[in-house]
This record gives sequence, C-alpha cells and structure tokens, in this order.
Amino acid sequence: MGRHTAQAVQARRGHDGKADNTGNAARPAGSARPVRQTRKSQTTRDGEAVARAVDLVKTYGAKDTAVVALDHVNVEFMRGQMTAIMGPSGSGKSTLMHCMAGLDAPTSGKVFVEGLEVSAMGQRQLTKLRREQIGFIFQSFNLVPTLSAEENILLPLQIAGKPIDRAWFDHVVHVVGLEKRLTHRPSQLSGGQQQRVACARALMARPSVIFADEPTGNLDSRSSREVLSFLKTSVHDYGQTIVMVTHDPRAASYADRVLVLADGRIVNDMSHPSYEQILDVFASEGTDDTDGGTAEGEERA
Amino acid sequence: MIRIGLRDARAHFSRFVMSIIAIALGVSFVVGSFCFREMMNDQVDQMMGSNTDHDVYVRGTDEKKDDDTDSSSSSMKTYNDIDDTLVDDIKDVKGVKTAEIVYSVSGSLVLVKQDGNAVSTMGSPTMGIGLAKGTWRSAHLTEGRWATNRNEVALHSYAAETSGLKVGDTTKLVYPSGPEDVTVVGVFDTDVSQAGAIILGLAPDVAKDLYQQQTGEIGRTQYIGVYGSGNKGQPLTNDQQRALADRINKALPAGSKATAITGDQLRDEYSQSIKDMLGFIQPLILIFAVIALFVGSFIIANTFSMIVRESMRGYALLRSVGASPMQVFSTVIIQALLLGLVGSAAGIGLGWGMVRLIVFGMARMGTPLSGAGNPSPTDMLVGLLVGVTVTFIGAALPARRAAMAPPIQAMNETVNPEKPVRPRAVTGTIMVVLGVAAWLFCWRIATVDGEPTSVGFLNALADRYGTGWPLGIGAGLIVIGVIVLAPALVRPAGVVLGFLPSLVFRVTGRLAVRNLSRQKRRTANTAAALFVGVAIVSCLSVVAASAKASVAGIVDTGLKSDFAVSSAASGRIPDAAVDAVKQVDGVKSVSTSRMLMNVKYDGKRISGTSFAEQPSLFTDVFAPVTMSGDANKALRDGELVVGETIAKDRGWQVGDTVTMTGERVSVDEEATAKAQADWQAQTQAKVTALQQEAQKLAASGDAAGAQAKAAEAQQAVTDAQNVDPSTLIRTKSETTRATVKVGAIISNSIYRTMVLMNDETAEKLADQQTMFTIQLFIAAKKGTDTEALRKRLVKAVKPYYVLSVLDREDYKSTMSSMVDQILIILYALLALSIVIAIFGIVNTLALSVSERTKEIGLLRAIGTSRAQVRGMLAIEAAIISVFGTLLGLVTGVGAGVVIRAVYGGNGLEVLSIPWDQLGVFLVLSIVVGLLASVQPAGRALRKPVLDAVASE
Repeated sequence: MGRHTAQAVQARRGHDGKADNTGNAARPAGSARPVRQTRKSQTTRDGEAVARAVDLVKTYGAKDTAVVALDHVNVEFMRGQMTAIMGPSGSGKSTLMHCMAGLDAPTSGKVFVEGLEVSAMGQRQLTKLRREQIGFIFQSFNLVPTLSAEENILLPLQIAGKPIDRAWFDHVVHVVGLEKRLTHRPSQLSGGQQQRVACARALMARPSVIFADEPTGNLDSRSSREVLSFLKTSVHDYGQTIVMVTHDPRAASYADRVLVLADGRIVNDMSHPSYEQILDVFASEGTDDTDGGTAEGEERA
Repeated sequence: MIRIGLRDARAHFSRFVMSIIAIALGVSFVVGSFCFREMMNDQVDQMMGSNTDHDVYVRGTDEKKDDDTDSSSSSMKTYNDIDDTLVDDIKDVKGVKTAEIVYSVSGSLVLVKQDGNAVSTMGSPTMGIGLAKGTWRSAHLTEGRWATNRNEVALHSYAAETSGLKVGDTTKLVYPSGPEDVTVVGVFDTDVSQAGAIILGLAPDVAKDLYQQQTGEIGRTQYIGVYGSGNKGQPLTNDQQRALADRINKALPAGSKATAITGDQLRDEYSQSIKDMLGFIQPLILIFAVIALFVGSFIIANTFSMIVRESMRGYALLRSVGASPMQVFSTVIIQALLLGLVGSAAGIGLGWGMVRLIVFGMARMGTPLSGAGNPSPTDMLVGLLVGVTVTFIGAALPARRAAMAPPIQAMNETVNPEKPVRPRAVTGTIMVVLGVAAWLFCWRIATVDGEPTSVGFLNALADRYGTGWPLGIGAGLIVIGVIVLAPALVRPAGVVLGFLPSLVFRVTGRLAVRNLSRQKRRTANTAAALFVGVAIVSCLSVVAASAKASVAGIVDTGLKSDFAVSSAASGRIPDAAVDAVKQVDGVKSVSTSRMLMNVKYDGKRISGTSFAEQPSLFTDVFAPVTMSGDANKALRDGELVVGETIAKDRGWQVGDTVTMTGERVSVDEEATAKAQADWQAQTQAKVTALQQEAQKLAASGDAAGAQAKAAEAQQAVTDAQNVDPSTLIRTKSETTRATVKVGAIISNSIYRTMVLMNDETAEKLADQQTMFTIQLFIAAKKGTDTEALRKRLVKAVKPYYVLSVLDREDYKSTMSSMVDQILIILYALLALSIVIAIFGIVNTLALSVSERTKEIGLLRAIGTSRAQVRGMLAIEAAIISVFGTLLGLVTGVGAGVVIRAVYGGNGLEVLSIPWDQLGVFLVLSIVVGLLASVQPAGRALRKPVLDAVASE
C-alpha cells in the first residue's frame, strides 16, 4: 500500500472548532494488488470515508455525576485502511467504536456508515446494517459454542439468508489456515484459532467495515501476530476496511493509521507510525494513567 | 450476613415471583387436599350426627360375607337382618323412650316440582324416610304435620325450596309403581345441610312398604333405632348410651341374632366407611401437588442459579474480605427460606380459597355443604414445612456454588460441561423395561386362561395379588424410569423434533436444537412436568374413549331394537307404563327386562344380576354372542343363559343343572289374624285399665282426674279406629325353588355378569314383590316413521315423569355424557399441569437466556434480527414442550391400552385411542411452548447488544 493521507482533527479545548476535514489524496483503485477484489472496492475508491462521526458526544450517568466519554469528536475512517484507535483506560476508545458500529447510541452528534446515518437507525435498520455493512471481531466470546468453526464462519450469511460464495469461503479459510479445523467446535480450538475463525467470519460477508474490539487482547504474542497479519493482509489484498480498538502499541503498529484518544478527545493522529513512534507518543503524553501495554485489565464498560 | 441476604431478597423480589407462584400452587394443593378431606369428613360427621341420631341401635350379630352381598363397593360391613318384632322386646326395656325401625328408601322416588317437572339433583339422592313424631330427633317440623298416608308428604326444607312447593300444595310423587297425587302436609328442617339430598317425609308404613319392595326382605330389618329417655329428650351421653345398650342386650331374646350397639359406635362406623370411600380424592389431588412442587423446586433452583451467577462477583468480594463459605451460603439460603415462607403462606391461603370455591360451586350446583373446610394448624404446618423444604432443596445447590466462589473470581461465561447422561440412560432404561415387563405380566394375568407365565413363582404372585399390583408397579416404574431416562433422550429427540424447524428456519432451528442438548438434564426436567400431566390425562382419555366405543359397539353390533325405555329414578318401570308403551301405534313388540331380587344359585348369590326375559330377546333386541349352547333355544326352553364371567366364576358348563332359590311374599293369614287379635286385646286392656283408673279416681272424689282418664280412654278407642289396618297385616316370605339346566353361555359384554331366564322360570321363583321391570326394548313396525314413533312413545311415558325413551344414538350418548363429565374434571387438572409446565419452561428459558447473554448479543451483533432470536427461543420452548408431551402421550396411551386389556371384561371390550384428542394435546403443546418463550425472549432482547458483547 502506498500512502495514507487521512487525518483527524482534534477538537481543541475551545471545542467549537467543528473540524471535519475530509481525507483526500485518493489513490486509484486497483493499485493495492488485490488478489480478489470486492465489488465495492472496484466501484469505489480507497481513501474515501466509509464511516464518519460528526461532533460526537457521549456522556454517561446523570447530570451531576456525568462522565464524558466522547467530547465532540469528529473523525473519518477511510476505505481500504486499517485504523487503530488507542488510548488509556477511560479515554473513550471503546465508546467511539461502539457508537460508530451502532452498538451504542451517542448522546449527540451523528454517525454515518456508507452514507447511512447509523445514529438515527431503529432496531430493524440496525439489523440490516449489521448484515450488509458491518463485521465484528470481539476480544472474547466471538463464536457460538454450539456451532462448528465452519458453521460459525457461515453464520452471518445464513442468518441474512444470503447465498454462500464457496470459492471465497475456501479462499478465506485457506488464508486463515483453518482447513483442518472446520468441523471443530470453539471449545476444541485454541484462543488464536478461535480469533482466526472470528476474522474469517467477519471477512466472509465482505462488509464495508470490520470493527475489531481488542481482537488480540486475550492472545499470546504469537497468536496475536498471526491474527494481526491476517487482518493486515485482508486490508491490503482485498481492500477491506478495518477499525480496531487496542491498547497494545505492537498491535497498533500493524495499522495504516493510529488515532490516540484521551479524555474523550482525539489527541493524536498518526499515519503509519512505527512501534517506537507509538511508544513515544504515549511517553510524551506523560501517561500517568496508561496501563503499560500489558494484555490485561482492559477498562470496564 | 443475614442482613445482606434480606437486602438481596428485596432486590431480587421480581425474580422470585414465579418461584413464589409455583410454591404457592404446590402448597395450595397439599393444604387444599387436607382441607377438602377435613371438610368432607366434617360434613359426613355432621350428617351422621343428625341423620343417624339414635342413642342405641340394634342390629345383627353376624357379619355377612362379601360374596353373599350385591354391593361390594362399600367398605361398610353388613350384618344379618334382624326380626321386626324385636321392637316389642326393646320397647319394654327401662330407659327406652322409643324403639322404631326407620325405613328409608333412596333413589326410587321422584318428586314433581311446582312447575310440573321432576326435581333433579346433582348426584345427591332423593330419599323417602318414614317419619312421624319422635322418629327422628334431629328433624323439626317448622310447618304443618307429618304425613299419615300414601297421598301425603312432608318435605325437608331444602326439598321444599328446590321444588317450590308449600304446605297445602298438591303435586305428584312418582312411586316405583307410578306417579300418584300427594299433598304437602308439612315442612321440616334438620340441624345440618343434607348435601343436596331431597328428603321426603313419608308415612312410616308407606316407607316400610317401599323399603320391603326395594329390598325384597319382608319382616326383617338391618337396624332398629332406639331413643333413650334418660336425658330429658336430649341425646344421651356415650356412657348413657352404653348403659342403655347393655340393658337392651339383656332383654333381647336368645337366638335373635341381634345385638345393641351405641349410636356413637354406629356413627363412627358409618363415617369411617364413607370417609374411606371418599379417600381416593386426596391422593388424586396430591399427585398434582407433587407435580407442582417438583416444578416448583426446579424453578427455584433455576432462579437461584441465575441470581448466583449474576452475583458471583459480589460473593467473591465477600469471600475476599473474609466471609466464610458458610456465611456466603447463608446469604443465599436466607433468601430461599424467605421465599419459601412467603410462597407457603400464599399457598395455604390459596388452598383454603380453593376449598371455599369448591364449596361455593357445589352449593350453586345444588349440593350445599355445611362442613367446615378451614385448615387446622397441623395442615398449615405441613404446608409450611413442605413449601420451605422444597425451596430449601431447590436453592441448596446454587447456594453451595455461591459459597464455593473462590475469593478471586474470574467468572467464565462458559458453562461447566454437563456430567454424562449415560448412567441415567442405563438406569432409566432398566426401570422402563421392568415396568413394561410388569405390564405384560398384568396383561397375561388378565387375558390368558390358566397360568399367566411358565414361571411358578410369578404365577403364585399372580394368584396372590391379581392384576392391580403389577399394573400399578409397572406404571410407577415406567413414569420414574422415563423421568430418569429423559436426559439421554434429549439429543435424539432434539434431532427428530428439530428436523422440521431446522428445515424451515435453517439457522435459528439448528441453533435451537443444539441449545437444548447443552443442558440435557435441565431440558428433560422441564419437560417432565408436562410428561406426568399429559401421561395421566392421555391414559384416562384412552380408557374413556374405549368405554364410549365399547358402548357404541354394543349398540351398533348387537342392539336390534329401535328404542329402549328406562327409568331415571329407581330403574323400576311401572306396569301401567309398560302397558301404555305396548298400546302405542307403530310398536311391533315390547321386550321387558325384569330383574329378580334375592335369587340364589345352589345356595349362593352370584356376583351379578338375574333377569327374566322373553324369548324374543335374542331375536329382536340383542344378537347373542354365544360361546357354547344355543342361547335362543335355551331361553325358549326355560333353560338358563349365563354370562361368561359368571359361568367362569361358578365353573358352569352347558348342561349343568343348577338349583335356584328365590322368595315370594304372601300375606300370612294366620299371623295376620293373630296380630289383629293381639292388638285388639291390647287396646281393650288399655281402655279397660284407663276406665278402671277413672272409676277409682271418681270414687276417691277427684272428678276432674276421672274425667281426664275417661277422655284418655275414649281417645285410645278413637286411635284404635283410626289405625291403618295394613299395619296389622303380617306377611311371610316363602322360599321358592326351581331346578334348571344351563342352556347357553354368552359373552356379550352387557350380559357378562347376568343370568337370563324366561318369564315362566322366573315366575316360579319370584313374584311382583321381588321382580321389577327395569328396561323396555321396543321394536318398531316396518315402515313406521321412527321420529314420529319416538314422539308418540315420549308422550306415552310422560305421565310417569321419570321414564325416558332412548333411541339407538341416545343409548350410546347416555354413556358418553357420563364419561364426558368425568373427563371435564380431568381436563381441569390437565389445564393446571399445563400452567405449571409453562412456568417451568418460562423459567428454564429465562435461565438459559441469562446464561447465554453474550452469545445472544453476539448473534445480534452479526446481524440476527429480533424476530430470529425470538424464533430461536420459541423453537427451543416448543421442542421442550412437545418432547414432554410426546413422552406423556406414549406412556399414557400405553397405560390406557394395558388398562383396557385388563378390564376388558368390565365394559372395555373395544380399544379406542382418541387420536384426534391426542393430536389436540400435541398441537396444544406447541402453542404452550411458543407462549412460554415470549417472556424470556423479551428479556433477552431487552438487554442491549452492547452490554452483552462488551468484554468484561
């Protein structure tokens, strides 16, 4: 992948700066060496916003004890990119993702995915959105325990009653390396394998955007690497869009773009940062409340 | 710790509602069944105290053997009859106020209401009792006087109320011989309600006649009632009764085979026997109590599992700050105990309310009860203990889980893998197989002649215990076996039952089926409640349908006549009515079935009835199913036609000779003359004595006293003139004898327990007093419009009030409607077990949903619609419910088939399985499942997807 030109604008403390700089510097489609291209990526162009948040505010609790999780956030997520959202516990990174994915309703502001206003959707439309535009990978409990790996991968398509593209299925399974494990139940798979099944499932429907919530949070470093490289491959080879929440700088270093949140605001927006750069950001922020990048103790919702 | 428990209980209260309802239902059945029994007992005691209120009774000394009596249904012992004339001996005993025989007849009288219709009751009898002043201490005239002849009647207040008759009204009273005009001369009241019985006060000698006609016994009675004078007209105390009975015993002539017992003793015996007869009701109610409590404890276990699961962090925290496992355990168990107490208390109230409701309902249907149905402290304690124990058992396991929470708890969403179900499969299968074997054994005993098996030991058992025990043991083994086995059946059942749903709803169907197999025990236990209820009901519906079909089969295949006439009252059809029917235009022939009383065969009674028939019986009424001999010819030739059961019983073969003895009653001229002479002498003596006294008083100057005595003497003379001469007629019963051959043995179900003979043979044995027409069969002339004929027949019997004309369809439906009434009660019980089962399913799903919060959230996140989640849970619930229902249907129908086979000889010839009804049960079970899933699905969907998937 060549260049990335997305940027996010932090609303400064004055916060009337309603910044919504759109990304530009589009690249022609097809330059990403896709092995297979989704129909979408043929007709649309990388670098265009798949999802965006406009003046997003999310507060929890009653007036007196209100906690501001998102404080007038404006952000765009570009097609064909893997974006990592980082930040210390309580910075609002998970909340941002949940609002973007329609899992949580913002207090004010708007969320768009593929031009559709998610924040105004009812249950029925949300279900449609999840079937057609969004894929999920969660930190844990990603799979239905009563279904085999194959059934889990195909589940979204079957639920939506969509036809199954067998060739694509075989390909995805091959890429995640699960050919021998398809008949196994989740309880018979390792954590890494389970997450790879979850990845395959998310990819199977070729959604507009995959939201991954700490996808490697419960994995050892080797399994993490496998999952992350698979995600990266899917972005680069198939033009998949991924938004990933993580607090692990190493995981974030796989991303094309890294957003750093603190106290509900985007405080940094890095393009292809290296591992060291990411660490530097955290160091310079004077992170008295980061959790040191260990894989435990994610914030409680 | 206790404070934490109480606070938790308050927080969880809404969760407890279902558990409380279940416990309350179970306890209410327990308490209700006790209350109901006590109320019935109290009612019986009250009625005994009022209706059998003599101070001393004289009765026979020898207990009659069972095989010598017609009725074996009552557990009341019967004694030899005693002679009427003992009254005279007893009267003279010191302390006796009156000694009388109170004759009462039940079921053979019908009172016609003010509006011209017969008084009908809900099962309670119409009783005619011979009453005069002082005959019945508990009855008080409120208006008018007692009846003195056949055309007068005094009504019990309830009878007056029901019939709308007042003193002075004229109405009809249907005697066994036909309706007669009667005038209401009095109204009386009794101390307690008579449970809806219509009581008529007849003139004593009228009642005596009726009684003697009904029993065929002349000059003999079972009891003589004695009132003592020792307590100024008040009932004697037990000691006084005892003393009086002793004195009477001394006075009874030797060889009279009579003994005096205290009134209390007889009342106790009576009460006990009636209570025994009603005793079956309580176990029946208790079965449903057990179901309710089983489901209740299960619901509690589920509820607490949910609560414990959700509070695990809290318990871990408690443990980490130093709480002991016991303390944590107590926080959970205190909630359970509280719940149990609330539920039991509610249940006690509910049970009491149910009994009140039953009393109210029975009063509305014409059976007022005055028995007290309030739970005693013991009942309440039992209810409370049961409720709290069941709750404790249900909550103990979850509480233990809470107590064992490690101080640092990393709760895992994954449910601990289930213990394997194989041991249960093995145990359950063995039990079911044994149960089926017991049923087969029972079947063999019932249907195979000779030895049921080739194993001597088993044959000995069969001889000893008959069919009842193997049937019951088999049923018990199978029911428990199925419950034990059920978890092992969940997976195959899921595959089979889930086939269709999975086909229609590919994803949700498959998910549902797999979810069921996760917690096989839980699934199976949930289904068990429905299983037991459905098994009981489907078994009974098979038996009921078979009973109906058997009757219909008799009518369809055997009955040739067009109409039958039978009597709703005593079963006796007046001769005038028979003539009236014969006169009806369009009637080709009328066959009368006359029942003979007191006929003995070779000196022994048969366990059945004897009938006099016309030879046309087998050609015009019923086609015989002959086993041996020629039934038609036998009847014509004056030989006996014997039902199969009796022939087997007595070992009779065609060609055997049997000596029959019967009774004929005639006026004993000699005794009557003597009685009249005695009575005249007695009156004369009395008058003379009074006159002498009067003279003596006059001589001593007491003019007023003399006048009084003279008036008394005059009164005695007048009284003597007014005495009904019939009371002085003495009858004698003459033993008759006839020796006949057994001509044929037939196996028609209705004739199985009958001996039939032709009229000539019968008349050698019995006369009008001991032989009654109980049914008419009418054949129509060819080409007659049967509908018009029916109308004419109905018109012909209308003056007799109690006779009904049945065509072939009516004949079938009289049986059906009886069976249907019983079924209504059963369906009420079914409805109840369904309600309980719904609770069970709702609760199981609720638990399952709470365990699967994340999974359902995940499904929603990847695009499962709300409808699909609802659908998945609905399919789960429906499969559970269909699973339980199917198990119940199979078991119940199996039991029904076996029962049908075992009691094939008692009116269950034809096996009929009511497929349509069973189909309705099955469809109903699907609906039940779908309904049960609504609430848990709502709960699952209320949870935001985010909460469900947010990593924790």
